[in-house]
Amino acid sequence: SGKEPVPPGFTAEDLENIRMNKKMERFMQMSMESCAAKTVLSGVAGFGIGAVFTLMTASMSYEDPMLRQNLGATQKARDILRETGKSMVKSGKGFGKVGAIYASVECVIESYRAKTDIYNSVAGGFFTGGILARASGPKLAFSGGLAFAAFSAAIDMFLRRETPDED
Amino acid sequence: MASLFGGGASSSSSNALNQERLDMALTEMDTVTDLFNRMVSSCQSKCIARYAEAELSKGESVCIDRCVAKYHAVYAAVGEKLKIRGEGQQQR
Repeated sequence: SGKEPVPPGFTAEDLENIRMNKKMERFMQMSMESCAAKTVLSGVAGFGIGAVFTLMTASMSYEDPMLRQNLGATQKARDILRETGKSMVKSGKGFGKVGAIYASVECVIESYRAKTDIYNSVAGGFFTGGILARASGPKLAFSGGLAFAAFSAAIDMFLRRETPDED
Repeated sequence: MASLFGGGASSSSSNALNQERLDMALTEMDTVTDLFNRMVSSCQSKCIARYAEAELSKGESVCIDRCVAKYHAVYAAVGEKLKIRGEGQQQR
């Protein structure tokens, strides 16, 4: 008959199942490497970094001791912790936005160009800086974009440097 | 192999048919292998510029997808045109 020969030890059903499994696997791998997944991962990582960083710097923040003098100790502690939490979330959101925008723009540009070089980072940084500074007018958005592009290019050059051979 | 084509007419014709099928299968195998090797070589030379990392980056994997699709398309288009030409020449 005109069907593919079945290797010994398998039935035709097994082959179908294996093919479906392989398809699922390939689909999972593709979705892991897709631009949407990269954006989400970057956003979450940015949120985490922003939150941890704010937590570390909150220990060094000073405030007027007269502000809460009439409250009890536990009340004061709870208030301070709540404020810390709020500022953690706020700065985490900021960092998460930066990470998500940068990752998505760079991924889209790289998918379009189909090349892997440093110009993807430069363009991604430029657009990220521009989007983040869009409220301050066109000139500041442009210069902010340039600055972010330079920063992103520097980091990418460091990440893509030629390490010596491990002979 | 020619010494095996002894027997009766029917068995020799079936042997000839089998031999023809075998030859066709071998030729197809050779063609597919050659196509694969050339495609791999061409897409690698076009898409992969830097060997600093072991994994394919996003741009490189996108490039390879497009390269394979284009190679198939070119192969099919050229085959089509060759077939049309061959038919045109046969009719003359």
